[in-house]
Amino acid sequence: MTWAPFLALSFEAFGSLDFWIGAMTLAGIYAIFTLGLQLNVGFTGVINFGQAGFMAIGAYTMGILVADVGLSLWLALPIATLVTMAAGLLIGLPSLRLRADYFAIVTIAFSEIIRYVAQNARGLTGGNQGLLGFDSQWIDVSNAVQDGLAPVGLEDQFLAPLLIVTWLTLLVLATALRYLQGTPWGRVLRAVREDEDAVRALGKNAFAYKLQSIAIAAALGAVAGYFLALNLAFLNPNSFEPLYTFIGYAILILGGLASFFGVIVGSVVVYTLLEATRFLELPLSASQVAALRFVVVGLVLILLVAFRPQGIFGKRQEMVLGD
Amino acid sequence: MTEPLLEVSDVAKQFGGIRAVDGASFDVERGSITALIGPNGAGKTTLFNIVTGFERGDRGTIVLDGERIDRRPPHTIARRRMVRTFQITKALSAMPVIDNMALAAPDQPGEHLTGLLLRAPVARRREKEVRERAHELLEVFGLSDKAEEYAGTLSGGQRKLLELARALMVEPRLVLLDEPMAGVNPSLGRRLLDHMHELCERDGVTFLFIEHDMDVVMAHSDKVVVMAQGATIASGPPAQVRSDQAVIDAYLGAQVKA
Ligand SMILES: Nc1ncnc2c1ncn2[C@@H]1O[C@H](COP(=O)(O)OP(=O)(O)OP(=O)(O)O)[C@@H](O)[C@H]1O
Ligand SMILES: [Mg+2]
Repeated sequence: MTWAPFLALSFEAFGSLDFWIGAMTLAGIYAIFTLGLQLNVGFTGVINFGQAGFMAIGAYTMGILVADVGLSLWLALPIATLVTMAAGLLIGLPSLRLRADYFAIVTIAFSEIIRYVAQNARGLTGGNQGLLGFDSQWIDVSNAVQDGLAPVGLEDQFLAPLLIVTWLTLLVLATALRYLQGTPWGRVLRAVREDEDAVRALGKNAFAYKLQSIAIAAALGAVAGYFLALNLAFLNPNSFEPLYTFIGYAILILGGLASFFGVIVGSVVVYTLLEATRFLELPLSASQVAALRFVVVGLVLILLVAFRPQGIFGKRQEMVLGD
Repeated sequence: MTEPLLEVSDVAKQFGGIRAVDGASFDVERGSITALIGPNGAGKTTLFNIVTGFERGDRGTIVLDGERIDRRPPHTIARRRMVRTFQITKALSAMPVIDNMALAAPDQPGEHLTGLLLRAPVARRREKEVRERAHELLEVFGLSDKAEEYAGTLSGGQRKLLELARALMVEPRLVLLDEPMAGVNPSLGRRLLDHMHELCERDGVTFLFIEHDMDVVMAHSDKVVVMAQGATIASGPPAQVRSDQAVIDAYLGAQVKA
């Protein structure tokens, strides 16, 4: 075994624009996805294991409204967002009153139910064959943006417009969430994270705040779902496995709890690792390489938890003092 | 005489086989300081939990200012300006002391997403008022220099003080304190009592407090309610309760003989 081909290949990959555009688009999409987890886990103390389910509801509702119903994409996006928020309220209403760990179990079950429905309601979702034909209006926009990128030499990168729109959306959302976190509204959320009973005793409806947190997280999952759908150009149930929720948690821990900008950095690190390890040329089978990708992410997480448990941007005191 | 601010009638609560509260009835007069006493396990904290909506009683009624509040959730009861503290303090540890205080303020439109959007200037103005008031109260309770510290770094006694100060941010009419003096050093404890009297006399705030220290109870309350085994067995002015035979038998006996 020689290392030469591996080194050559990985450097080549890192040097190519294709690699970075692909990896950073995914990083942007899953950063939006994880902003929702951050709001729930880092700022409200609600453990949501169903983010991939919300992503699926958003993406499929949008896809179905455009491809099957024939709505305009621009109309389908807000409708799908509202539908996803309603789904968040629907599972929150009966289960958010339960202890945090029960809510976690309910959300993961919910997320799997959504995926099974997507797999089996073939008439609506195309099942495992996938759902196509919802992105023509986006492609028009994308082409226009791509032409506009000619001066910077990116006119050959047909994924560059999606990268740009994803990251602009991400920055707007992260900034908005950061602003909200500093308002009296955000203060109540953090207090709910600390002790719900204390919050109730002071006249605040803790339950209503948890519901709002879940509904907003669901909307963020939906937005991430739209970009994922446009990135793949088709929807397949496998894109919404619980695995993706757990990648979100890896991003969360890496970036640090209770930091929205930590989420962005965490996502860039995780998706750089995940995508770079695709190019590893080792004497292993394809499935072994696939597993190895997660081993690498796992190792990075273990090292981080050992040496910097609060994550890259988390506040150590908020971790140590939360009792 | 005007009607009482709080009327508790025949409240009961059973946990499995344990009758934690079993026929508790008493009134709290407006502008008074009432002490609730009783041996450990008498059901005092459970009664507080029922009155403030944290537990649902099996029977009985609770009337606050002429309005029934049993079966209402805790936050709507607190909004009627009846606020409580907890026997085991609930400082919001991973938040700064000042945020603990500001959180408790009522009428902050910025606490709602619609208010943030539509009434941003009102929210900002309110936030300024709230912070001023919070600093005033922290000053009174000797916590000024801790304002920016995380509440989790406070000592046990300081947390008790923070919890009382935070309750006062709600601008309460009635404050329920569950053993406010426990773990607080005597000089701070005196300060706390002085402040209670001052609020009562100056602003007409009514207090109901659970306390085990008989000297404090006798010296600082207008009325004493005695609980034993879940039931209220006596109530009245301190001097009268002190000589009540049932109370002596149930509770004070050991101390009086000693
Ligand atoms: N959630 C609960 N489940 C079961 N039993 C309970 C519960 N809460 C209280 N109890 C029981 O009810 C009884 C009354 O408890 P409570 O805490 O009200 O007493 P207390 O008068 O406040 O005592 P202390 O002076 O020690 O604080 C005790 O026997 C206690 O074990
Ligand atoms: Mg008690």
